[in-house]
Amino acid sequence: MSGEKDGDAALLRAAARELADIGVMIREASVHATAALTEGAALGAVARAPAAGCLAQRALLRAVTNGRGLGYAFSGGVLGTLAAKLGAMVGGESLAVRVLATSLRLRIAAVALDHPELTGDPMLARLVEAAAADRDLEAVRALRVLLRDRGAVRTLSELAPVFGEVLALRALLDENPLNDATAWLIATGKGYATADPITGMSNRAIAVLDTGEGAARRVDLAALESARLSRSGSLLGFLRNISLLGTTGRILIQSVEGQDGVTRHIVQAPGMQAGQPDNDSPQDLLGAFSSAVLDSSPYSRALARAVDDYGLPHGAELALVGHSAGGAAIMNLVQDAGFCARHTVTHAVAVGSPIDFKRPADPRTWIASVTNQHDIIPTLDGQGAGGCFDLHPDWYVVDYSDPTHLFPLCHGIEHYIANLADDLPEAHARIDGQLTPYQGRVVRSQAYQLFDRAPCPEGFPFLTVPTYPAETPGGTIELPVRCQDGGALTAYFAAEQGAAADLLKGTGLGPAVRLAGRALVVVHASWNRRTSLGAYREVHLGVVVPDPWRPGSPRVWPDLPRGADRRRSGSFMAGSIVDTGLACAVAPRLWGGEPYMAPVEFELTDRAARVAVGGLEDRLLVLSGSLGPWLPASDRDLVGYMRSADATLRSCVRTSGPGRVHPAPRVRLTVGQAAHPLAGRLRELGLDGARPLLCLSTPVRQTLQDACVPVPIG
Amino acid sequence: MPAVPEGIAEHAAILRSDARVLAECAERLREIEARLEAAGVAPPWLRTSMEAHLAACAAASDDLTQAAATLRHYAERTRP
Repeated sequence: MSGEKDGDAALLRAAARELADIGVMIREASVHATAALTEGAALGAVARAPAAGCLAQRALLRAVTNGRGLGYAFSGGVLGTLAAKLGAMVGGESLAVRVLATSLRLRIAAVALDHPELTGDPMLARLVEAAAADRDLEAVRALRVLLRDRGAVRTLSELAPVFGEVLALRALLDENPLNDATAWLIATGKGYATADPITGMSNRAIAVLDTGEGAARRVDLAALESARLSRSGSLLGFLRNISLLGTTGRILIQSVEGQDGVTRHIVQAPGMQAGQPDNDSPQDLLGAFSSAVLDSSPYSRALARAVDDYGLPHGAELALVGHSAGGAAIMNLVQDAGFCARHTVTHAVAVGSPIDFKRPADPRTWIASVTNQHDIIPTLDGQGAGGCFDLHPDWYVVDYSDPTHLFPLCHGIEHYIANLADDLPEAHARIDGQLTPYQGRVVRSQAYQLFDRAPCPEGFPFLTVPTYPAETPGGTIELPVRCQDGGALTAYFAAEQGAAADLLKGTGLGPAVRLAGRALVVVHASWNRRTSLGAYREVHLGVVVPDPWRPGSPRVWPDLPRGADRRRSGSFMAGSIVDTGLACAVAPRLWGGEPYMAPVEFELTDRAARVAVGGLEDRLLVLSGSLGPWLPASDRDLVGYMRSADATLRSCVRTSGPGRVHPAPRVRLTVGQAAHPLAGRLRELGLDGARPLLCLSTPVRQTLQDACVPVPIG
Repeated sequence: MPAVPEGIAEHAAILRSDARVLAECAERLREIEARLEAAGVAPPWLRTSMEAHLAACAAASDDLTQAAATLRHYAERTRP
């Protein structure tokens, strides 16, 4: 039964192919007639033989406009193309277009033999028929009914096998002249769809928005990922690796020692990332588009750079395996003569990829394409299940259908793996058989993160500074400490002046900066999420002090917002908490003090903050509540002073990141019952239950913190 | 670049050849339809479409023959 169906479908496809040929011939005749009518030879000689000239012109005009003959058939040349577009806008149709439309309808009929739901389902059939007959209003109504009844995903999935044909039919018959060329290409199989078949917007124009020379950086896989990598070469192993990488912008290159003792290499390229259509990865939507439409794309160029970096020996054999956009990208390498001259590309396997119009540079490269007929992605180049042209007689093409009709589910790499493993044993065995030289022990695996263009170093330019090794009780560290990603909250309180003065006694600093007769005290908390010391949180209590050499100067207030390099005032550090051993060990080098170790919680959102120090049983402090309205402000550097046994030490934290000033914060500081020296100090300062005068918050920032410096005071 | 009469005559020759191609197209269309009908796979709408194409090909062939003839005559008249 299936064989009979296959035979019937083959007959219909053969007929569709012949009709497409006939359509092309009719169009050529139209081009010739248009040329005779519009070119200079015939027109220019009318004066010599006006009567004969006019007769000839009239006969030619009739030939290219006779609705019972060639139809409205202007074609080719500047005038012909212009006349054709104008004609299309008023519904002028040529015989060539009508014949091609019949070819496309035969293609749909062929697909319907394998997918009886397309004609058996009244809703689908109504839509397909209306679209094919250029009955717009009815098509829109049918689509609306389908969408309401089945939702967008199911509708798209069910239409997928004939998606290209239906769109091409519409484009051929509608009044939009911009999509005619694409429809022609789809209908005749002469090239990839150069434009969106609905709007006519140029695919190439969109694809060229995806710019970049491509870049690749080595990255380590997470331990769990490394453990799950395929240890031996096989088709399913490579595809599972692609699944493991996910759509994270990464690719994998592996080396396999074959049974003949030769080491060969395999590039494994996943598909498109979900999310922003254009980000810094070539695996974004634009990248997928450009990989399919253009001969070279940032994705394929980044792949080439990864291969270069991997360091293949001259003449080493290479296989390329890709899914979705990854398949299109590897095929761009296959058709890159330069790449193929540098490397011996023996195999390329593309799964769920639009690659019909890729042309290998080396005819010896063995190519396999695996596509699910309900997967729309491979049809984006215009050729899908209904294709009637044998575009690649020398490729191994597996175009199959399974009961899962849902897109995007049927496009997923996991679904293709399951199909190949369970439903397509012959195809699986055939491809694996071809990949025999690549079966063996994996001897090297290297993942790469790909980029549209070489990324600037993280934190550039703020964190691009000279570094030097420094010995600390925690071991050798690099200074300055660089924080690539952190957040901070600084709360200014009005505190008991006497208690503040007690803290400053004997330090040579002070008196504390005053506000309405009270001392200005600061509680600073930060979560340094990614730093050269690892992640850690810290909380500091400081008494704001003026310039140690001009303690009475009235210029203290203008000095407070200055950058650290010009600020003379600062905070005397009256107690610090950190939550990691390394940060604790390094602290004396950074700000001179010896902090306490305790758990620190730090949460900061646009509206609220919560900082908690100590565990539930021995809570030291909690600063939490609404931050209230805010104004934008640049983040403020921090300057700290500390008294050591024989010197006063000045420390700086330079910051970069957008900050916020909260002039009316509703947060409250609650000091816990813990018998901790810092809790005692906070209570003495009268801060238990206090609200800050002002808060500064920075949800995202970078910081640089160098060693503290002794300053001679007193 | 050919002289004017030769240029027009060239167009005429091409159109004459195209007229024959169109007639062959009509014949091919007839064969395709017959083949599908014989195999019992012809969709119900096919006959109507093919008959329309056949008639159009025949008419187009006539139009091109006529255009070729008038062009040939025109070329003769423009010779010095």
